Amino acid sequence: MPDWLTQLLGDDLSFGLSYITNGKHLAWYASFRFTIIAALAGALFALFFGLGGAALRQSRFAVLRSIGALYCNIVRGVPDVLFFLFFPLAFEQSVEWLMSTQACSAADLAANTGTWPPCTEANWFLGTSEYLALACVSLGIVYGAFTANVIHGAMQAVPKGQLEAARAFGMHPIQLLWRVHIRQMWIYALPGLSNVWMLLLKATSLLSLLQIADIVLWADRLGAPNYLKQVGLVHPDWRWRYYLVLFLFYILVTYLSERGFAVLRRKLGHGMIRVEG
Amino acid sequence: MKKIILAVAIAAALTGTASAQTVRLGTEGAYAPWNFIDDSGNVAGFEIDLGNELCARAELTCEFIINEWDTIIPNLVGGNYDAIIAGMSITDERKQTIDFTQDYYPPDPSLFAMAGDADIDFSNLSGIKIGVQGATIQAAYVEENFGANNTVLSYETADQSIADLSAGNVDVVLADGGYLSPIVEGSNGALKLDGPSIMIGGGVGLGLRKEDDELEAKLNAAIDAVKADGTLDGLIAKWFEVGPFYSN
Repeated sequence: MPDWLTQLLGDDLSFGLSYITNGKHLAWYASFRFTIIAALAGALFALFFGLGGAALRQSRFAVLRSIGALYCNIVRGVPDVLFFLFFPLAFEQSVEWLMSTQACSAADLAANTGTWPPCTEANWFLGTSEYLALACVSLGIVYGAFTANVIHGAMQAVPKGQLEAARAFGMHPIQLLWRVHIRQMWIYALPGLSNVWMLLLKATSLLSLLQIADIVLWADRLGAPNYLKQVGLVHPDWRWRYYLVLFLFYILVTYLSERGFAVLRRKLGHGMIRVEG
Repeated sequence: MKKIILAVAIAAALTGTASAQTVRLGTEGAYAPWNFIDDSGNVAGFEIDLGNELCARAELTCEFIINEWDTIIPNLVGGNYDAIIAGMSITDERKQTIDFTQDYYPPDPSLFAMAGDADIDFSNLSGIKIGVQGATIQAAYVEENFGANNTVLSYETADQSIADLSAGNVDVVLADGGYLSPIVEGSNGALKLDGPSIMIGGGVGLGLRKEDDELEAKLNAAIDAVKADGTLDGLIAKWFEVGPFYSN
């Protein structure tokens, strides 16, 4: 830190400033990227799964309809923490099982029936990026079910006359779906989608469950009391201060999202009949 | 497309050969002063100094990998790293799954830490909350001996148990003496040690996969060397101040 800044701030403040900009804290700030990536990528996946789920529920075929309904109802009912733990583990072990059928020798398979994976070649090492990708997909699947429900409802809300008019023009069902139905659905879906986005945002605090060194894990580490001089600054339990920063972060993101959705609502509402106040 | 496949194959071959030479040491990074994240954000501590020293003497290239305590043994067996250096006591139960080198920290009695003004009757422990780190020798011991009449709270990291002890959420924490003593010392009276010291484990060693005999021999020879010339005692003095030491 430059001398003039130290003089300007005084010893206490400049010590505080240099403490919250040390490597450990920089690593914490950098870990916000995991949360942001998980929220954005998770939302993209959720939209994708949501559109898919809604399309299945609209389908003409009873089998597809029931698959869509099953997805919406079952996944919405499973606690997100549980799914968050279940899906990455199940996925990892399925991949390892597939690898073991190729890579492991028959002798290895016979010798290691009780251990997993049966041979080291079939071990799939999951680092932070792999876990992050799996976390995004898990978020996508869980909140995709909510999104599917919202979109399904919104599609029902599009005035039937609009669809009949499109049909009367001789539009193909795909054209009708894409150009009329989905186009007009957004304005009805938006309030529900903003809700799902908020839920998804909150669920991003679960990343540390998957061994990702995310903002919550770092807040825990940094705030834990330290009594050892050789470890660094000796301080009592400071966890609440770090949690408070996380509160503020989430509140800020909530505020920005609200603003974003207000803009979207105005844009999508152009030329539409006003649906709600 | 072919180029991509080729590039991936080359990358795989390169990382394959690189990992064949590099020995990856798995540690927890949350057990000061054994291993922890220092203020500059790097892993540091007694075991980091020791690991680097052992690797230099055995002429190995080493890197540290941070892994949660909970899964540190399965991930060794699975091949995510090649050795555990994380303050792990040598026990018969663990020896069924993995091998250990000889100890690099003498058998260390477990101690009880509590708030500085606490008054606990250790001759008849009942109705109190005991904190331990999960999957440790202390966790098994407490569950077996005090589990019936007391509440046992198990934490993911030892740091969390100390944080909860400071916050008054548990009455006592049972952990390695070498971990607790410097913490209590540095707490300026906020915490104290009391009650019996209990010998549970048989020293601390590096954990290895059972089939890695060559690595085990190299590390054992290196530990012999650092014990013989006093380097190990020097490191223990640097990080633990009061010992226990190998030479008297």
